Amino acid sequence: MTHRPDTLLRELRPWLRQLDRRRGRLLAGAALIALTLLSAIGLLALSGWFITATGLTGLLLAAGIAASLDVYVPGGGIRFFAVSRTVARYLERLYNHDTVLRLLADLRGRLFGVLASLDGQALARRRASDWLNRLTADIDTLDSLYLRLLAPAGVGLLAILGLSAFLALFSPRVGLAGGALLLLGWLWLTLGQARLGLAESRAQVGELEALRGRTVEALQGMAELEAYGSLARQRRELHEIEARLYRGQLALGALVALGNALAGLLVGLAMVLALWLAAGAWEAGRLSGPLMVMMPIAMLAMSEALAALPAAFTWLGATRGAAGRLNELEARAGARAEKMPVAAPPAGPLGAELEAVTLHYAGALTPALTDLTLRLAPGERLALCGASGAGKSSVAGLLLGQLEAQRGAVRLGGMAPAQWPGDDLRRRVAALTQRADLLDDSLAANLRIARPEAGEAELWAALAWVGLDAWAESLPRGLQTRVGEGGGQLSGGQARRLALARLYLRDPDLVILDEPFAGLDADTAAALGARLDVWLQGRSVLYLVHQLDGGAFDPPGIDRRVTLVEGRRDPRV
Amino acid sequence: MATPETTGGGRDARRWLVTLAARERRSLGLAVVAGVVATLATIAQLGLLAWVVSALLVEGAALGALLPALGAMALLLAVRALALYAQERLGQRASLRIRAAVRSELFDQLARLGPGWLSGRHSASLASQLVEQVESLDGYFARFRPQLMLSVIGPALILGVALWLDWLAALFLLLAAPLIPLFMALVGMGAERLNRDQFEAVARLSGHFIDRVRAITTLQLFGHTRAATLEVHAAADDYRRRSMRTLRLAFLSSAVLEFFASVAIAVVAIYVGFGLLGYITYGPSPELTLFSGLLVLLLAPEFFQPLRTLAQHYHDRAAALGAADGLMALLAERPDPVRHDRPEAPADPEVLVELAGAEVTRPGRGQVLAPCDLRLARGEVVALIGPSGSGKSTLLQLLAGFVGSGAGERRLAPGLALAWMDQRPLLIQGSLADNLRLAAPDASAEAMAQALERAGLGELLARLPAGLETPLGERGAGLSGGQAQRLALARIFLVEAPLVLLDEPTASLDADTEAVVISALEALAAQGRTLVIATHHPALIAMASRRLRLDAGRLTEVHHDASP
Repeated sequence: MTHRPDTLLRELRPWLRQLDRRRGRLLAGAALIALTLLSAIGLLALSGWFITATGLTGLLLAAGIAASLDVYVPGGGIRFFAVSRTVARYLERLYNHDTVLRLLADLRGRLFGVLASLDGQALARRRASDWLNRLTADIDTLDSLYLRLLAPAGVGLLAILGLSAFLALFSPRVGLAGGALLLLGWLWLTLGQARLGLAESRAQVGELEALRGRTVEALQGMAELEAYGSLARQRRELHEIEARLYRGQLALGALVALGNALAGLLVGLAMVLALWLAAGAWEAGRLSGPLMVMMPIAMLAMSEALAALPAAFTWLGATRGAAGRLNELEARAGARAEKMPVAAPPAGPLGAELEAVTLHYAGALTPALTDLTLRLAPGERLALCGASGAGKSSVAGLLLGQLEAQRGAVRLGGMAPAQWPGDDLRRRVAALTQRADLLDDSLAANLRIARPEAGEAELWAALAWVGLDAWAESLPRGLQTRVGEGGGQLSGGQARRLALARLYLRDPDLVILDEPFAGLDADTAAALGARLDVWLQGRSVLYLVHQLDGGAFDPPGIDRRVTLVEGRRDPRV
Repeated sequence: MATPETTGGGRDARRWLVTLAARERRSLGLAVVAGVVATLATIAQLGLLAWVVSALLVEGAALGALLPALGAMALLLAVRALALYAQERLGQRASLRIRAAVRSELFDQLARLGPGWLSGRHSASLASQLVEQVESLDGYFARFRPQLMLSVIGPALILGVALWLDWLAALFLLLAAPLIPLFMALVGMGAERLNRDQFEAVARLSGHFIDRVRAITTLQLFGHTRAATLEVHAAADDYRRRSMRTLRLAFLSSAVLEFFASVAIAVVAIYVGFGLLGYITYGPSPELTLFSGLLVLLLAPEFFQPLRTLAQHYHDRAAALGAADGLMALLAERPDPVRHDRPEAPADPEVLVELAGAEVTRPGRGQVLAPCDLRLARGEVVALIGPSGSGKSTLLQLLAGFVGSGAGERRLAPGLALAWMDQRPLLIQGSLADNLRLAAPDASAEAMAQALERAGLGELLARLPAGLETPLGERGAGLSGGQAQRLALARIFLVEAPLVLLDEPTASLDADTEAVVISALEALAAQGRTLVIATHHPALIAMASRRLRLDAGRLTEVHHDASP
């Protein structure tokens, strides 16, 4: 057992602090849960008291002894609890659901802020869609911290203490003994279950991911697996991973079932104990008959307070795992944010240089760039050629301050990108990345990423510059047309041009263009090339291209070219 | 117990789930039996509680004399706990076996459908069907199915006891009983609507979030991240406001159940109380005793409890129905009928593979390969040329047997092994050696090193301290595209497959790597293997001894004197 409570708390602390910001709502929600519980216990306990009282009075009346019982107050109480239980339950569910959704918005916002300050290396490694899925799953898991774990445990504890205190008013022995038994049960159902399930429930995410990873591999490589006849072997491995996952699930399932059974057993034993002690007190004349009956019945109603705990706490490790992963992400982002800008960069077109730079991505077998030296004079247009994977994007990432080299120096306007004031760097260096990242939003919103304050006229001018104005005018919703997920409603060429239009809305001193004409037809490329040529006057330019062939797809006005091969300069060019 | 169906999970999905549950009839049946035992123990234990109270208060028995009864109550509690444990475990195990079997069937189905079918699919979303969607069946089998039976049997048993105690009190419960199907429908509609709305809205919201995260580099470059963070928060908050509107209605259904349960307890309590006071002279009321009155009261919440539990498990059902649709569609895909027929041998022993009037038709796309005749002899190097989309990949898949021919015939030399390589070679998480052994499980270290050397990875291998045992990340993370391609080539060197099929082996490689791959292919040809290469690359076309051109699915032989 590697569990240490201090690390568990440390991992959850940032998220508990996050919850603390909505303390008022959380307490109100917990109060509603408590009210529901109180009504349930009150309804049953008061009914038990009432039936016993009427039964005893009825016996006296039957025996001809004058006796009377106020039936209206308890009757009213019973009706009140019946209604308050229903209403409180409804309000509680509604209110707490609202809270949980508010927490989800908080968490999403916070995590997005964290992601936004990650560097290129961390993002590149985390590009895969399964990582994104896990991230959203982790957020959802943490989202349940309050409603699944904190609130039921807190209210359960409160109910135990409250009920014991109430019963102790009439019979201290019943209150103390019953309370102690339930408290012991509560400790087991929360901390005990959590401790036993911690490691396995934490491992489940990883095991599920291993299964998915292997499944994707097998599906993508089915052709080779079938050709080599190794499908059966791959199946066996998948089966082993699945068996591991299910062994864990079975172990956790046994633990949950044990917890559930114990919860019922404990409440039952508390009931028997209360009956025995209360009957003793009744025999001794310290307790009336109806009160004696009320005690075990009130204990029985406690099952509602404990029922949800075992399943939630057995899986605490999953919450912990999610918190741990997100903490790691925050730590990485925090480490980066600490660097402070030191100086003011020079004005005008920006020069850039790489000096003996080596860049090695974590986990890669070979460096992405090896001992690379490269100069871009202010106002120059340099074409950096090479196959995909040759290291062009890494050079761009270094200049944009998204990556950091292990060795060598990177200078932009004579300063390391990290020393630049962040906003200045973003304002003065613009890049067209390989993928046109379009948001599932309107054309206007996608353009305004580049300049949020841009008016409609400016947006239309930018569209005209890339030759998309006629097309946009033909759309029924014009600038408000949505581009679909990842720009899916647009053709590749349209998406590319929209990304170029974004650049036009900026006024940068250094422009990095990765395959600016990819996906365009020759005529569009030629027309756009001429306009781009004019716009690039007075700016430094770094083109990233697969290869130059002298045709329409070559970007305009190249002064010099450098070819990269597997992260080094090709000596032949 | 009919529930109006509103999700995509229609009647077929429900029927499929029921069929699956029937496979574990024994376990699930035993789970129900265990649940019934727990209910009986509960009834008996509550009966003892009422009896003890009545013995003390009415008959004046001494507490000491009642100790055996208290002991029996503790014993019944233990029986109940054991039964509940057994119920849960039986459900879990049944669910586990069903899920494993479904996943295995899905895998069999995908293997039958084959690489040709898979090439048009998004493997990540298929994998999520095989993993997450199969997992989301869990709650339905483990909890919902047994509880469904128990929500009928449990209340019936309790009603029987209540009838025996006091038929009028039982009537109050029974009055609620015809409402139970109504509850179910209400709860069902609520839960299902909740689930459907939630599913869609959550998917939309996650889509929004993922969309922003995907574009995060661009947002960073434009200094737009602060605004985007606010947008993410605003989108989530907007989702909250909209979903609260539907939740207000959806939660009403469970409130109705809660209301009936509460009111039934209150009505029983007040009826019994007034009956015991002698205020009610009608029907069985005069016979009410403290024992019967108290027991009826204690049974009232137990009457509704199975239904409340079922309502809690309703989202399990909705999740399973949601997954069932996609899984059934996958299982209903019709595999190529001739793909798995054992092919006949060609008449000429020198011919490895022969197509006679073979053609390929794909649903929705029509004929992608017109009937063609082709004989590939030992040692031939064939370049397959033609514009993209003309059917080159389809012809390779037909030769490999990944798709079957709709008409005509494919003949294959008996026991012929083949090797395959395309633009996206398979790389598994594991060491370099694991990736090589994929093709040849028993290959020695020397053989693997030699294969790497031949594929132009000798230099890389020499630089790696852990050598063949160097781990590669998931899907080859750590290898460049060129290195991955050469690793796939090394696999081909490792196996003695006489027929090698290559789909655009040099696409997206730089000139140097291209040269390495081409010389490796020449070495393969020199070993006397038959190569079929779909390519645009002039050097590869030049090394071929035969050229075949495909044009809109029509195959023609290009003679060497004609220009390619």
